This record gives sequence, C-alpha cells and structure tokens, in this order.
Amino acid sequence: MKIEVKNMTAYYGKTEILHDIDLEINAGEKVFIGGSNGSGKTTLLRVLAGIIPHKGEVKVDGNEISSMKRREAAKLISLMPQTSDIYFPYSVYETVLLGTYASSGSAFGGINAKDIEYAVKCMEDCGVIELKDKHLDELSGGQLQRVLLARTFAQRSPFLFLDEPGNNLDIKYRAELCDKLNKWAEERTADIPNSLVCVFHDLEQARRCCTRAVMMKDGRIIYDGDISNGTTPEMLLKIYDFDVASYIDNKNTL
Amino acid sequence: MNKKGTGLKIVISAVLCLFILVVCIRAGSVYISLKDLFGIIGGHLTGKGTPEGVAPMMDSIFWTIRMPRALCAFMVGGALSISGACMQALLQNPLASSYTLGVSSGASVGAALVLVTGITLPVFTNFTLPFAGFVFGLLTVTAAILMARAIDRSISNTTVVLIGMVLSLFVNGVLNLLSTFDDAHSKQLYLWMMGSFSARGWKHCAVLFPVCIICFIGLMLMSRKMDIMSFGDLQAQAMGVDAKKTKIVSILICALLTGISVAFTGVIGFVDLAAPHVVRKLFGPAHKLVLPMSFIYGGAFMALCDLISRTILSPREIPVGAVTALIGAPFFAYVFFVSRRKTR
Repeated sequence: MKIEVKNMTAYYGKTEILHDIDLEINAGEKVFIGGSNGSGKTTLLRVLAGIIPHKGEVKVDGNEISSMKRREAAKLISLMPQTSDIYFPYSVYETVLLGTYASSGSAFGGINAKDIEYAVKCMEDCGVIELKDKHLDELSGGQLQRVLLARTFAQRSPFLFLDEPGNNLDIKYRAELCDKLNKWAEERTADIPNSLVCVFHDLEQARRCCTRAVMMKDGRIIYDGDISNGTTPEMLLKIYDFDVASYIDNKNTL
Repeated sequence: MNKKGTGLKIVISAVLCLFILVVCIRAGSVYISLKDLFGIIGGHLTGKGTPEGVAPMMDSIFWTIRMPRALCAFMVGGALSISGACMQALLQNPLASSYTLGVSSGASVGAALVLVTGITLPVFTNFTLPFAGFVFGLLTVTAAILMARAIDRSISNTTVVLIGMVLSLFVNGVLNLLSTFDDAHSKQLYLWMMGSFSARGWKHCAVLFPVCIICFIGLMLMSRKMDIMSFGDLQAQAMGVDAKKTKIVSILICALLTGISVAFTGVIGFVDLAAPHVVRKLFGPAHKLVLPMSFIYGGAFMALCDLISRTILSPREIPVGAVTALIGAPFFAYVFFVSRRKTR
C-alpha cells in the first residue's frame, strides 16, 4: 500500500499554493515534512488526506483520493490539523470516542463495545485517561493537544498525518510523543504497516521520529531523501534563508 | 457526567414538560377539573365520545380549541428548537438559528405571498402554506450562507449573525410592502410577523406531527455526524464526515421544520436560540441528547409563552412572538456577551 502523487497542483481560491508535486510514500515509512512558514507543508498534508481539492493525481492504494467516500478515506488516513478550534465543550471521553466514527461498522456511526475499548486505550496511551470526564474548555493547551492526539489515534488508520503535533507540549511530553510515535510506527493496522507523515518545527523532534525528510520551499519539494542529509546546515540555510547553525548553541544537535 | 444523573434529569424534564402542557390546556377563563380533562381526552382517544357529566361545550372548548392549540405550540416550539440546535452545530456558532439566519423571515414571505395571491397547490391544498414556507425559508438560508461565504471564507460568528440580520430586515421590508399593497390582508400579515397560535386546530397538528416526527428521526440518525461537525469542517472532514453533504441535508431538514412552523404560526424568534443553549448547559453538547431535550424544552417553553400570550391581557391576545422576544432578547444579549468574553 502506498500514496502516489503525480503532477499535483493545489489552490486556495485562485492562488496556487503547491506547484507540480511528485511524491510517493510507502506504508511503513516515517516522513518528516519540513520548510519555512508558508512553504505549503500544511496544504500538502491536507491534499494528501483528501480534504482540500487538487489538480493532478493523488492515489491511495491505487484509488484517487478525491473520488473516495470521505469515510473510506478517513479509514486509511487520519489527519490531526495544526489548529483545532473548540466550539462546544464536549467531554474528553466523548471527543476521543468520536474519533472511532470512520472505522466503526454501523452506517449511522453507532458506538459498539470495541470502539469504547479502543478509545480508552488511546486515552491511556496519550496520558489523558484521568481527564476523561473533563470538558474541553477546562483543559490547558497541552492537555487539549494530547486529547486531540488520542482522538486521531482512535481513528485507527494506517497512515497518520500530524501537523505540528508538538504544539503546546512541554519538553517531557514532546519526548514522550516521539517514543509513542516510534512505537506506533512499528505496529500494523488492518495488516498494513503503520506510516507517519509529520510536520514539525522542532528539528530535534523530527529527527527522533522520522527517517525520511521531504523539504519544501515556496510550494515545491526541494529535497526528498534521508533525514540526516535533509537537515544539514547548508540545506537549512537554503530552506529558511537564515543561518540556523549560528542560532543554535550546540552545533551537534544540527 | 454520570449516567444516573443524566437519566434523572431526563425524567424530571419529561415530567415537567407534561405538567406544563396540562397547565397550558387547563389555564384560561373556563375552569376544568383534572378528572374531567382526562375524561375528555380518554373519551376521544378511545372513541367513546364525551364522558357523562361533562357539558358538550366543555368538550368542545378543551378538545377542539385548547388541546390542539397547546399541542401545536408545543410542536412548533420543538421544531424550531431542534432546527436551532442543528444550525448551531453545523455553523459552530451559538448564535445561529433559523431566526437569526433569516429562514423564518423568508418563510413568512412565502406564506404571505400565498395569502395575498391566493395561489394553492393542486391536490395538496392543505400543504400550500407549509410548502411555500419551506421553499422561501430554504432560499433565504441559502442566500445567507452564500453571502457569508463570499464575504468571509471562514464564515465567522459575526458575519453570519450580521448577514442573517440584514436579510431578515430586507425580507421584513418585502413583507411590509406586501401588506401595504394589499390592504385586505394587512392585519393578517401584521399578525403573521409576530406569530400566533390563535385558532390553530387539529388540522394543523395533523400536518405538523408527521413532519416533526420524520425530521426528528432524520436528525437523530445524523446525531453523531453532527457531534463531529461541531468541531468545524476541517476536523469533520479529517474524521470521515462529508461536511458539505451533511450540511446540505441537515439544512434542508431545518428549513422544512422552520418553514412549516412559520407558515402555520408566523415568525416566532428566540426559542430556537434559547432552548438548545439551556439544554447544552444541562445535558452537555452531545446531540443524541441535545436534539430530544431541545424538542421538549423548546416545546414546553413555547406552550408556556402561548399561555402567557392568551391569558395575560385576557380576553385580548398578544402575539406570541412578542412574548418570546420579550423573554428571548435579553437572553440573546446575555449569550452574545458571554460567548464573546470566552473567545480566546
């Protein structure tokens, strides 16, 4: 199973954001998507998940994603958006349980015991089980982030797309997140090896979680390959137009 | 929230709602004992007719006037409230409702046109008014959402409310114009703009009841989708809900509920805003509870408002829309200020 992108172009209104993207992501890969603000990382994730329209080809397991049913696509790919607005104060438990909608069997999204069991497991994994009965508007930014992460896991799809999952997390939870993602990436979902596609701003986290880097600039992919070569000082200078090496004290982390 | 507490709250709400209905039927210038009232109801339901010892006039007052009127108010209140709850979830906006989005005003223009021109549907004559209400309500809400989207892609709270207000004012202008040109119906049209349950009978209930039931079931089947939609289109799409399709289907259902209510009773505001809000405070935001409870609370509230409208200046009636607005407007302001303060 793989995601294949050919000659893909994406727009917001009339503005072209992504130009002529070619990309292939195989099941089991751990891909970091890097680039400066506004380089098109978020748009790329959303197009790959089939949430915003595109021109060209985006195929998942041979099927064009835009012609798949939303629920079918969400069974294969779960996306955790960067900003998650909360409008109504659902409880943590209710929120995570909603994540099982795509994978649960019934046509109208009824809940069965298996869904509940899995949602509880995801809450435990993300360290939010003790917040179970709290309402979303009572949580701190970091707690909310972990709840939404649990909800994304509860979607139970082999491709996990995370847009800056480390947002609002303190250093301990960032480290834990990396461990958790690495552990998850070794498992399989519905007999398909799990795959990670993540946008990070924290390069340390990127290197801990991912093995392949796709670096973007102005809506194009300018590097695709091993993460250690993708995050060299020269490459970072090229991507950010900024001497990242001089900004970071300990050069070894680069 | 624990399950036991929720169960208890549901039972209390249902009992309270029944109690309010009985009060609404009994209250008025003619007194009836509970025994006689249930006797009349039982007699009609079992087909035995008026029970012994009950004057035929009593029977007609309670069975043909007050009962259907109270039930009609209850169903209209419920219908408006569930459509309000649904709109709020779909637009992630606590201020969205059929009233603030202009559906009610649109529907009333449709109904007014039918009234003024005297056009009727072939065969389904009885459905002409609700049909016109539905179509015009739908047109207005579509216009409101398209305009909001054109101005502001993210369709924020303020845009929707402002556009709804602007459209409502515009459509009310059309209504005023209609009533100026048509003196014969101007009084009727004026009453329409404020809403009234006066002289609503079983034939209205007969249309309202099935429509309410079908729409309610339709919305209940979508309750989990609606929960997901309350997190916004982006998250809903990511979680596997077709946001556009869900919006279209549920807005159609809401327009039907609102259109038919307005066509029968006129424009009544604020219930659709207030009832879901109170219900969310009591039961949380999950729609499998919000929808049925909004129906009960909105229905009971409306029945109570109707009671006030026909008794407070008795024997004169004041329009029920005036009563809901007098109670609802301060509430609307309160919600607006609190939700603004909470916005991060």
